[in-house]
Amino acid sequence: MMGGREDKGEDRISRREFLKLMAAAGTVLSFTPFIDWGKFMPRAASGRIEKVAVELPDGTQANVKTFPTNHAETVIYPKTGDRVLDQEPFRVWKVVRLPEEMGGARNDVSAFRCYSDVCLHLWCLWNYFPQENKKRGECPCHGSIYDMRTGVAIAGPAFYQSPPANLLPKLDLEVDSQGYLWILPPTFSLEKNGIIGFGRFEKGVNV
Amino acid sequence: MSIQRGENGLVRFFKWLWQGLERTIFVGIKFTYPSRFVSPMGFLGMLTFITFIILGITGALLMFYYEPILDRAWDSVKTINNTIPYGFHIRNIHYHASNTMVFLALAHMYYQYFSGRYKIRNEVLWVTGVILGTVTILEAFTGYDIIYNERAELAISIASSLTNSIPVIGPQLREMVFGAGFADFVLRFYALHVFILPIVMLGLMAVHFPRFLVFDVPMVMAVAGMIFIVAGVFPVELGNKFDPTVPPDITVPEWYLTGIYAFLRTQYDKFVTGVLWPGLFIAALAMIPFIDRYKKLSWKDRPLITAIGITSLAQIIVTTYWGFYIDPDFNKPLLDRIVIDPILFYTVMLLLVPLSFGFTYMMIKLAKHFEELNKKEAAARKAKGTTGLNISIKWGWWLLAVLLAFQVYLNIAAYYAGINGFKNVQLFIIGLVLVTFAGIFHLYRYLNEQVKKAKPMAKPAPKEPTPRPVIEHKEKEAEVKPVVEAKVRASTVDNVKSPVTSSLPPSTQPSSMGSNPNPNPASSIGSNVKASGDLSDIV
Repeated sequence: MMGGREDKGEDRISRREFLKLMAAAGTVLSFTPFIDWGKFMPRAASGRIEKVAVELPDGTQANVKTFPTNHAETVIYPKTGDRVLDQEPFRVWKVVRLPEEMGGARNDVSAFRCYSDVCLHLWCLWNYFPQENKKRGECPCHGSIYDMRTGVAIAGPAFYQSPPANLLPKLDLEVDSQGYLWILPPTFSLEKNGIIGFGRFEKGVNV
Repeated sequence: MSIQRGENGLVRFFKWLWQGLERTIFVGIKFTYPSRFVSPMGFLGMLTFITFIILGITGALLMFYYEPILDRAWDSVKTINNTIPYGFHIRNIHYHASNTMVFLALAHMYYQYFSGRYKIRNEVLWVTGVILGTVTILEAFTGYDIIYNERAELAISIASSLTNSIPVIGPQLREMVFGAGFADFVLRFYALHVFILPIVMLGLMAVHFPRFLVFDVPMVMAVAGMIFIVAGVFPVELGNKFDPTVPPDITVPEWYLTGIYAFLRTQYDKFVTGVLWPGLFIAALAMIPFIDRYKKLSWKDRPLITAIGITSLAQIIVTTYWGFYIDPDFNKPLLDRIVIDPILFYTVMLLLVPLSFGFTYMMIKLAKHFEELNKKEAAARKAKGTTGLNISIKWGWWLLAVLLAFQVYLNIAAYYAGINGFKNVQLFIIGLVLVTFAGIFHLYRYLNEQVKKAKPMAKPAPKEPTPRPVIEHKEKEAEVKPVVEAKVRASTVDNVKSPVTSSLPPSTQPSSMGSNPNPNPASSIGSNVKASGDLSDIV
């Protein structure tokens, strides 16, 4: 403590100490623009920034005119080209064309749904069952059942999970003039496309 | 130093090295090697640290073969377990040491809790200890996740969804800590497990260690031996590799997490059941030194705090068991077997509170009753001139010889088990060797003590059985602890005093459980060790 006034209060900070603090803070602040905060730790999993073709397992692009109703195909999104990463369950999606009675007959995007294939209960991969009495998604592990119109769990362990963990994350699709299907750039947040393996909020469905 | 004749260069070098250590931090830590039996309850923390060292060594060895890659993690563990020479042993020791460490840390915490050690300016030690315990559990948790079997996947998915469920920051935090998918989970849990969390633990330990540490060789041997024996008897299973298209077996988490799992199985909101309750529990534990306003240290004199501790223990035990329990009736639907009825569950949790308080009240009453009884008994014993358990020196040597013979037999058995490739048997017998060695060490130490004591009183009463070194009851120690700190400084006084007191006839020895009107320096761990160490120097 050097100054005359600072001598009295022990808790008062001296001019020199204040300058030291300022210098330290300045040093830290001068580096901050070079650190893109928080961009290192999360993997850039937020998909692509442009729309991507719905590529079927046989390598062709899905088309409204050829995709059968009451039918589902597995799609990898986003594709990396890495063999190991592309078999990652978190990149597996199901593109479903609804049965006729649910509106699958229309030749536009409203006939299609694209949901994350990861069951919201314990992350097995659910399958689509087109049988007459089913027409729904079912998880082989603990029997969670999903309604394909909305992606909401209607039975099984996932049904008992409170929102958002009872509604499948989705991808938004688009159909171009030739009938080809595209995946629109997603935002993986609870309110938009949902978070894979965790769920999604949607007004009127589970909120 | 003066260089003496006959000292060669190597001896001089070691002497130089030893003197150089005076400038290092190691001199600041006072290691004591007790020369007689001290209750391990007082140095459970040190034993936890020893297990941490065992984990570090075996973990480092496992790192040579483990591959933290999505499609190879489980296969590499399988290779370690089945084909790598000694991989089975190292993996099993690592696994069981991790359980031991969590258990010892919990036992250490509850002992300190009930004996009120967090008071006397130990608040910082207590709070860092609680954080250290939490990180220990996280460390053990990340460890069993990276095997990537079905149970690991269950744990990863729960951890991830719990993080996701935190309001506002949850999803971002999840992405930052866990990455984007399974490949990231495995790799990041590996990074957390082998580097980040151990570094955090070491940092916390630097704050958590008290200045006086007890390194009791037989007890360390016994703990290591028990890890080996358990590893031999219950070798850890590999489990099935996680395949998202195949229904998994019903699995439950490790025992230190089934408590939280039971809460989750009520299917209530994930954040409340899985994050808020455990978080509140840990926060309450950390706050205990600032809530506890009792002046005394013994659990009998702090009824409310003891009751809270008993309640927490009861709830931990009940939830841990409930988390494990899955209705074995296969005819029922899976959901009915797994989901716990929340009303029943929370009712039981609430019921445990008054029950535990009543139990505590009863225990305190009983303890005080027995204290009185023991006082009378001690007085009666004093009149008779006999003490409780003791072994005569002659029989002690016989026992030592038998133990040594057993050790030789065990070594031969271990050799043959090694030749025949019985991995379990090898582990089991190595454990027995260690435990037996601990027994030999302990007995030898005890006998030495007896011989030393017998010498001064050989003339007045040669036939009289010498007393067994008395282990004082911990509450008494806790009470005298503040006094002890001053006493340790004035250790010269103790040095003179303790050999005198211990060489007196048994009638003057303070009996266990009995109240100790004049706090003998040998009645607390710190000074007990000090005194006995000095004793061996002097006698």
